[in-house]
Amino acid sequence: MTPPRASLPRRRLIRGTAALAAGFAGPWGIHHAWAQARAKKPLLIGLATDDTGQYAASGQDEQRGMRMAIAEANERGGVLGRRLDVVHADTAGDPAVAAPVAERLIRQQEVAFLMGGVHSGVASAMSKVAQAHGCIYFNTNSSSPTEAGKDCHRTKFVWDGNGTNFSTSVVKGAMTGFGRDWVLITSDYTWGRNTARGIRGIVEGNGGRIVEELVVPQNTPDFSAVLNKVRAIKPGVIATAVGGDDLTLLRRQVRENSMDRGFGWINNQQDWPDVYGLGREALFGIFGTTWYWGLGLAGVPEFVARYQRTQGDYRIKVPGNVFYNGYMATRELLRAIERTASTNNLKLIKELETLRIPALDRMQHHDAYMYPQTHQLQQTIYMAAYNDRPRRSDDLFRILGRLQPQEVEDRASTQQCSLESYAATPSYEP
Amino acid sequence: MDWLLALLPHLVNGISLGLLFALIALGFMLIVGVMETINLAHGSLFALGMYAALFLLAPKLGWFPELQAGYMSLPVGTRYAIALFFAPILVGVFGLLLELCLRRTYGKDPLYGLLLTFGAALVIEELIRVTWGSNEQQMALPPTISGAFMMGDLMYSRYRVFASGFAILAIVALWLFLEKTPYGAIIKAGAHDSEMVRALGIHLGRLRSAVFALGVALAAIAGVVMAPIWGIRPHVGVDAVVPAFLIIVLGGVGSLWGAVIAGLLVGLVVGLTGAYASEWSLMSMYLLFIAVVTFRSRGLFGKKSVLDT
Repeated sequence: MTPPRASLPRRRLIRGTAALAAGFAGPWGIHHAWAQARAKKPLLIGLATDDTGQYAASGQDEQRGMRMAIAEANERGGVLGRRLDVVHADTAGDPAVAAPVAERLIRQQEVAFLMGGVHSGVASAMSKVAQAHGCIYFNTNSSSPTEAGKDCHRTKFVWDGNGTNFSTSVVKGAMTGFGRDWVLITSDYTWGRNTARGIRGIVEGNGGRIVEELVVPQNTPDFSAVLNKVRAIKPGVIATAVGGDDLTLLRRQVRENSMDRGFGWINNQQDWPDVYGLGREALFGIFGTTWYWGLGLAGVPEFVARYQRTQGDYRIKVPGNVFYNGYMATRELLRAIERTASTNNLKLIKELETLRIPALDRMQHHDAYMYPQTHQLQQTIYMAAYNDRPRRSDDLFRILGRLQPQEVEDRASTQQCSLESYAATPSYEP
Repeated sequence: MDWLLALLPHLVNGISLGLLFALIALGFMLIVGVMETINLAHGSLFALGMYAALFLLAPKLGWFPELQAGYMSLPVGTRYAIALFFAPILVGVFGLLLELCLRRTYGKDPLYGLLLTFGAALVIEELIRVTWGSNEQQMALPPTISGAFMMGDLMYSRYRVFASGFAILAIVALWLFLEKTPYGAIIKAGAHDSEMVRALGIHLGRLRSAVFALGVALAAIAGVVMAPIWGIRPHVGVDAVVPAFLIIVLGGVGSLWGAVIAGLLVGLVVGLTGAYASEWSLMSMYLLFIAVVTFRSRGLFGKKSVLDT
């Protein structure tokens, strides 16, 4: 007869093995320290940019900015003694593509950080994936107010001004110049809808009236019906929340119909890659921007020279706001790693939440700072128009004025944003 | 009466849009109707037409700077006319090369032709991207067809009027070619009974090549005409191929006038929804399509194709 006590050690053995497995595997589920574990291993940065699709011009531009910042850091010996490597994927400007792209970069490629996104749907989709893994994600150029509003995340940092920031800067000026009856032309997706809502609030808050809002589907090839409608309404101001190729097309058709004169046109934000090289035909009205190469500030000539040295083969001969955002965001990430001497996501998040960048260092007129409640960088916003007296062919913008970050603050986003707690954010240490 | 006056510009705009849609669908209709091949590269060939015109309008001849300067000294109108005439021919020749690849799929499962043209569409788009870059390009227009003019209280784009007029000319020319010339008769006969055409001593391979090249050249003509309106970018073909496909099914496969009327219908529906419910403007054409195909699966003029007469 077999003694019964023999089963006890077996049970203990099974329990012990299970406990050991759980203890070992547990952190594997949430800690990626194992993934790129040891120091001196290259730090892999995932660039997921909109290289094709509606925002292709900007997607490619911001990628160049990120790569330049990474190359400069590598020339200095990397970060914390680790070389920086890049893995890149095209989101196609499509949220349905972006989410699996982010998943693949994080899970399979094991990137340390994720950056990119011009289309707000793309940025939102990638940020959800990044948050689920605890991977820090930088939204470099998507400017929907929801990005640092209802779609904010503890791991996401937003580097561009948003639709409300830009609207605030240009609406007040247009109200006095062109009148109080406004028509909105809104692109039918997250950024367009939210930006239009922001403009509406500001216009009505300043005594103006939205006579009509014309919502147009994304990738609309023909705006003639909408322009006919606008002509019939005869508003003082037409404000557009239309971006990328759609905005270029709208502008072309506005000009084709000679509607660039006689109305005040407000274009929420003008991205440099969308108008560079197109000349006067493509650019009219008043718009906002975060940066311009002709600001005349210290550091800009050197930055432009570095750009021209490294991007000599590129069609855009001087940097614009999109490149600048990509570059600055990447540079600040790498600096934050140096300051914390860590790649731990929570340490870095806490560091970035208190980020303050002197105006001189950012080549803007006012200091910029990260708003800890929304993770959006608060920065100087410039109002601009087409420059009809250019010093050279690249001198497309005439800066009409600027506003301090506090003056264009997006208060609605602060109310809508609810960041996940630190405890609820998975630890991630590449 | 006020409502009618308010409606008038939208109706005119809808008809103009419709003519342009019909122009876009012509080449697609010809290839599907005669060769029974769904040419998914139609949109990319449409885009290639735009880029070929762009090249002919302002060529970059690095090795021959004097030749370039001499050509560029020609008035924009002359260069535009050259582009409008020669760009479709260049793209038509490219179409001949594409047809060489397509020959291997004749008589086989139609899926092969579909896949081949889909692959060709991707390759052409990428070729455009590599050659001209992915940024938006602009085409210079002669001053006579730029800007807008007033008619009563209504303002019209000169270029749209020109483009609509050109679309009417192209439609009539194609109809005359198919209906009133021996070549058209051969093409129609080839679509109807290819064996009989072969028995009469007509080289079927050459006939197919010619039809495909003509269809591709028509796609390119549409591209050149639409370039100043839609802009020139590598993926613009997607905006063309979807309505083209929809229009030929709506009008009845192989029917020239079916495609024209379907184009006008789509233009009117898109134009009117664009004015009164703009967020539905793209969706409206699909709803129209569903409504028609639900009750008449062969399209509006499926039986009265020019090929069946």
